[in-house]
Amino acid sequence: MPVPDLFAEGLARGWKTHDGSRLEADLTLEADIAIVGTGAGGGTSAELLSAAGFKVLLIEEGPLKTSRDFHMQEAEAYPSLYQEAIGRTSKDGAITILQGRTVGGTTVVNWTSSFRTPVATLSHWADAHGVRGHGVEDLAPWFERMERRLGIEPWPVAPNANNDVIRAGCQALGYDWAVIPRNVRGCWNLGYCGMGCPTNAKQSMLVTTVPATLENGGELLYLARAERLHFAGDRVDWLECLGMDDRCVAPNGRRIVVRARHYILAGGGINTPAVLLRSDAPDPHGRTGKRTFLHPVNFSAALFDEVINPFYGAPQSIYSDHFQWQGGIDGPIGYKLEVPPMHPAIASTLLGRFGVDNALRMEQLPHTNVLIALLRDGFHPESAEGTVLLRDDGSPTLDYRMTDYTWDGLRRAYHSMADIQFAAGAREVLPLHNAARHARSLAEARALIDDLPLELFRTRLGSAHVMGGCAMGEDARTAVVDSLGRHHQVENLSIHDGSLFPTSIGANPQLSVYGVTARLSSLLAERLRA
Amino acid sequence: MTTAPASSSRRNLLRFGLLGGAALATVGLTASLTGCSADAPAAGFSQLRDGDLPLLRRLIPVILDGAVPPPAPPDATAATLAGIDRAIAHLSPALATQVLQLFDLLTLPVTRGPLTGIWGDWTSASDEQVRAFLGRWEGSRLMLLRQGYSSLLQLTLMSWYSQPQAWAACGYPGPPTV
Repeated sequence: MPVPDLFAEGLARGWKTHDGSRLEADLTLEADIAIVGTGAGGGTSAELLSAAGFKVLLIEEGPLKTSRDFHMQEAEAYPSLYQEAIGRTSKDGAITILQGRTVGGTTVVNWTSSFRTPVATLSHWADAHGVRGHGVEDLAPWFERMERRLGIEPWPVAPNANNDVIRAGCQALGYDWAVIPRNVRGCWNLGYCGMGCPTNAKQSMLVTTVPATLENGGELLYLARAERLHFAGDRVDWLECLGMDDRCVAPNGRRIVVRARHYILAGGGINTPAVLLRSDAPDPHGRTGKRTFLHPVNFSAALFDEVINPFYGAPQSIYSDHFQWQGGIDGPIGYKLEVPPMHPAIASTLLGRFGVDNALRMEQLPHTNVLIALLRDGFHPESAEGTVLLRDDGSPTLDYRMTDYTWDGLRRAYHSMADIQFAAGAREVLPLHNAARHARSLAEARALIDDLPLELFRTRLGSAHVMGGCAMGEDARTAVVDSLGRHHQVENLSIHDGSLFPTSIGANPQLSVYGVTARLSSLLAERLRA
Repeated sequence: MTTAPASSSRRNLLRFGLLGGAALATVGLTASLTGCSADAPAAGFSQLRDGDLPLLRRLIPVILDGAVPPPAPPDATAATLAGIDRAIAHLSPALATQVLQLFDLLTLPVTRGPLTGIWGDWTSASDEQVRAFLGRWEGSRLMLLRQGYSSLLQLTLMSWYSQPQAWAACGYPGPPTV
């Protein structure tokens, strides 16, 4: 049964788009508001501002891929939909960073988990980072609005077996667990959220706010990199974009001049600070790109007698926050427990070793469960944190420095995950670390984990949540933008994405980005109308 | 469209400091004066160069040992090689350069011997020698060698396991029909 491709139908009806890889000449585009980035922050802002009557231009570095292009194949999805063809890592190469790069941004490839910003996080921002007006009551109506807009509800279907390990293990141990709210409508429960939703059930920006913006008369420029803001006094004068080749690897020589009354950066963590750094934007206190956080993740695999098939079914539907706030907001680092979907290519690199050892682990894939711990970085002075830097060619990279405080959390997380996996009935547990082997009992796992040398590369680490780097806050000495997302030094420039966050979120961040940027956009619309 | 290979001159090898440390930089300098493998892509590839192929043709079957069920399809190595070439072609130029520099390090005689323990050509390296080299890099105290190990495994494993012919051996029935 063919799935209608909403985007293709809209294009046929006359939506206005420009493909930066196919320009026959340089181009000048004008708009009331130019928005760099089409993910959670850019898409949300574009819909609100275009509905308020402003002419919006959306600019996306990645390609325009729609449901008809989503074939649930890792070989196609990773090179086309992810930053640096899924090769993005921390500067030292040790932490793989999953971020989308396509129209709709990371919302096209995320696993749909949608949590409101934890209350403790919002209070901490007010207390420790001079953030004003982002209290629970301030944001509640915006979360509600975006939950309605994107169909966000706790997953009503039974979890797949991979997720059920968290439920069963936590239940047996008396740990907290709960059902994850997901942004889906009519989800087929297939399991391929990370490769682009083939049925348009996931309410990503690609099928919601970006189409709404185009319907409102907005325009979309894709395969175009926002290279540099040009300033005149304390204002952005124009934005220089570069057309990209159709693989989105290198500029193709075409230049696009964008002129607008107001500019919004929404390229996400790493890319938004990079535009400011490339532009030599005013930064008197050297804050741009600082305090970038990742929710660094470690992994624990377990073998079960029953079939898990961790590649099928809604990828994330159960979580545990049992260890998230145990030590208080700024005690020993807390972590959220979830599972990842495990398709063969990703699984083969996570499970470790090579040759027969790796092949034997892969052979057991249908009986394998994997848990992940997402560490809440940025709340403690000794937490690991990152700084966005530019490479010689102007492309960004993240210098993320691990600390003993953070390594300690990773070791505790290995223990928690093994506890839960054995309690759920696992036959063997394998912490995903080069020096680990399968442990056949909890006691064996405990001894093994206590001895693991926690070092870069030997410990497999990943991240799917880049947050911070352009922190908001009232004090220009510590923050890049104020609590309304306005750049402290540049008048007509705002930031509306996850780079605003002064710490990590302590939950999958997409709903935080939706709620915060929806509120900021509505306030921006009022100011621009005045 | 054209797919220009990422540039990877010996000069870059030094500048990016992939080797790290003054002693190793000296090795790189020697390489820069004596080695001059062509940077042009090999026939049938957009990124991989002639000099990379013997290395990868030895590495791939060792990394995939046991993953390719007998009778091994004769083109498993070739298919993986093509996948690696495609992967590099989509990386950012900075990352593609790093990968090609890693291959340089592994293929230039002056760095290959000391860093891998393989003193002859890759073509004549035994499986045991290749396994020993990988094990040595995995456990190295030099982070850059651990990174090299991790990159070689990732490129090879992801390239193989994203192909449908790899799935039977890992019990993956493939995506459903929509």
